[in-house]
Amino acid sequence: MIVNPVYRVFQRECKRLIRYPRYLVILTIGVVFSFVFFATMTDEGQPQRLPVGVVDMDGSYLSRRICHELDATPGVQVKEVYTNHMAARRAMQRGEIYAFYEIPKGTYNEVLQFHAPKFVLYNNASYLLAGTLCYKQLATMGMLAAGGVQREVLRKKGYGEKEIMGLIQPVAFETRNISNPWINYGVYLMTTLIPAIIAFVALMHTAFSIVRERQRRTVKHWMKKAHGSALYALLGKMLPYNLWYTLLALTANLIMFGFMDFPMNGSWLLMVLSTILLIFAAQCAGCFIAGCINDPSLAMSVCTLYSAISFSLSGFSFPIDAMPGFFQSFAWLYPIRHYFLSYTSIAINGNNLSQCWPYFCSLLAFGLLLLLGAMVLKWQVNKNTAEVEKKNIVKIKE
Amino acid sequence: MKKLRIILYDIREVLYAEFGRVFKDSTVLLIFFIAPILYPVIFCFMYEKENVTNLPVAVVDQARCDESRRFIHKMEATPEISVDYKCATMAEAERLMKDRDVHAIFFFPKDFATDIIAKRTAHVAVFADMSSFYYYKAALLGSNAVLIDEMHTIQLERYAATGITGLQAQEQMQPVVYEEITAFNPTNGYGAFLLPALMILVVHQTLFLGICLLCGDARENKRSLLVIPARLRTRCTHRVTIGRALCYLIIYTPICIMTLWMIPRIFQMPQLGNLYNIMIFLLPFLLAVIFFGITVGNIFVRYKVSPLLCFAFFSLILFFSTGMVWPQSNMPQFWHYFSYIFPSTPGVQGFIKVSSMGSSMADVEAEYLALWFQAGIYLVTACFSLRFIKRYKVFNAI
Repeated sequence: MIVNPVYRVFQRECKRLIRYPRYLVILTIGVVFSFVFFATMTDEGQPQRLPVGVVDMDGSYLSRRICHELDATPGVQVKEVYTNHMAARRAMQRGEIYAFYEIPKGTYNEVLQFHAPKFVLYNNASYLLAGTLCYKQLATMGMLAAGGVQREVLRKKGYGEKEIMGLIQPVAFETRNISNPWINYGVYLMTTLIPAIIAFVALMHTAFSIVRERQRRTVKHWMKKAHGSALYALLGKMLPYNLWYTLLALTANLIMFGFMDFPMNGSWLLMVLSTILLIFAAQCAGCFIAGCINDPSLAMSVCTLYSAISFSLSGFSFPIDAMPGFFQSFAWLYPIRHYFLSYTSIAINGNNLSQCWPYFCSLLAFGLLLLLGAMVLKWQVNKNTAEVEKKNIVKIKE
Repeated sequence: MKKLRIILYDIREVLYAEFGRVFKDSTVLLIFFIAPILYPVIFCFMYEKENVTNLPVAVVDQARCDESRRFIHKMEATPEISVDYKCATMAEAERLMKDRDVHAIFFFPKDFATDIIAKRTAHVAVFADMSSFYYYKAALLGSNAVLIDEMHTIQLERYAATGITGLQAQEQMQPVVYEEITAFNPTNGYGAFLLPALMILVVHQTLFLGICLLCGDARENKRSLLVIPARLRTRCTHRVTIGRALCYLIIYTPICIMTLWMIPRIFQMPQLGNLYNIMIFLLPFLLAVIFFGITVGNIFVRYKVSPLLCFAFFSLILFFSTGMVWPQSNMPQFWHYFSYIFPSTPGVQGFIKVSSMGSSMADVEAEYLALWFQAGIYLVTACFSLRFIKRYKVFNAI
């Protein structure tokens, strides 16, 4: 009963796609392009050898050694040694360096006299990632330099190496970064962004296909194929896009978790399931918007406006819990948010179905939007037919 | 003289016609007037808190000594961390982590106490949730401050035991004093970093998509020469292009002041630049975007709804290619050059420098020239593209 009308709409849509494959090809190229873009961009994992500067007003053996040691750390490179603060500040404002150390005049003398000289570390937090990484490297370097001075003194006083370490560093952290030990930026970026882009495209394309029916006035033909049921019509329409974009998303995940060795602690099956549900939920949202708004271009722009903030509201960059309460609830309206939660649950925390079922249920709940969209669509179609009939009756009477 | 008057007359005619088209179209109104105001406001509210505070963490204290308890109390007192759970075993804490109830685990092993007594380096294990870098950052920021403080307390005790006390111990502990200055983004927050870039990208994308929509609209309604007044020949395409560009420029100047100057003031974001410099900088940016939009719209767009489908998801790639997230110095050469096709790259880079960092116009010379260069090139292509579509009416566009 259900299968036949849905299948007929599916067939009709496939024929169309084969006849006008333009958008499908363009969007697929777009998705592949995005994948290659992000994969090659974040190839390094963490940005290495970021340019920093040193303002060396001391010009002593110690300050030169600090410059050399900074340059030898893998994270940063000393781009230039400046002689005054203004030059370094201008370089920072031009974006040539992300941070700089200022070593004041007379530093070496003060160290020798046991007076603590003051080093100033400036970092540019306008570029958050680069600024933070430079800051981390420079601050570590500073700590090490201070430790080095202490060690020299203690050695000369006749302490043993173990005692010295206990004096210099009585407490230390051993950091274990769960499932991303390299702090690889690509892992954290791509695992959410790529599915988000594919979901975005799936939503837009599904909405577009519905909008085109309206534009070309073929809604009647479309409904006829589905035996007049708006739900079957929508389902049949979604199906080809669903298959295609799910295939793309699964391939992307396979490449990321399989070939690029991104951490994957959970079951593959659950990951596949959440990917399928993500595309489905995104399409449902698209059907709802396109079903409710009659004006073609307005429907498409509402889809764009809705999806544009999905990347922020997935919570992979800035956590949702740190946002105001309204956005915490608002984020539930985005399939990618649930996908992100299920991804962290499965791939990072290695949970099984008993823990991540709520996310699957929320993704499935987007099906309600599909039902709602179908109802509105049906109502609109009926209204239109009634209007046309009315006009016909008026014509006949005349 | 007479010819000049005719040219100006034509431009004015095109300008009026274009104004009429913009204000009659509800979709374009939505994209031109609502989106560039609405999005910055949404983003400002979203990233209001700038940083993660009170990150829930779990503590496993198997050392049960004075030092470990003091450490935990101090952590509780930091703004970043809130010790929500004190677990007896690691397994218990792991469970909490898997359920996303906590985002970091601090583990004090049994030998923490013995190490402290034996004056060795005592280790604390930190397990950080890497699903979002902000959890990791908050956990490390809060605990590092405690670590340094606690180190000094224990160091003082140990130095006292070796006979070094008072000022001498102070000097010994801190042979070099560090001062850290976080420039341009004093809270090191996410909002102050992301918002300026997002806002200018919103201006870029709304303007670009709006122009493409208008081009598609004209093409769809079989106005093959867009809004060229009937008596103008194809030779005069520059008049049409300039007329249309003027229209968009007039609309977007107040919008830019609103989004890029007033909203940051209202939300009290760090902004060092003055309005005069910002507007001077934005002029070539707007022109470059307008001519780029007209070029792409003329050549590629056939339907009104297709640009939203095909270009909208590209915003993400534009954002990442600006070098705000992944630093420009570490971008692969190819993507670096590629990113300069779009006005958004020099636009975002220059705007951050002028607005957030308060650079003078001389400091953004490179970006400023790049924008004028782009504006010039895209002006030429925009004029030619009009001639091009006149000649090849049925060009295979999207």
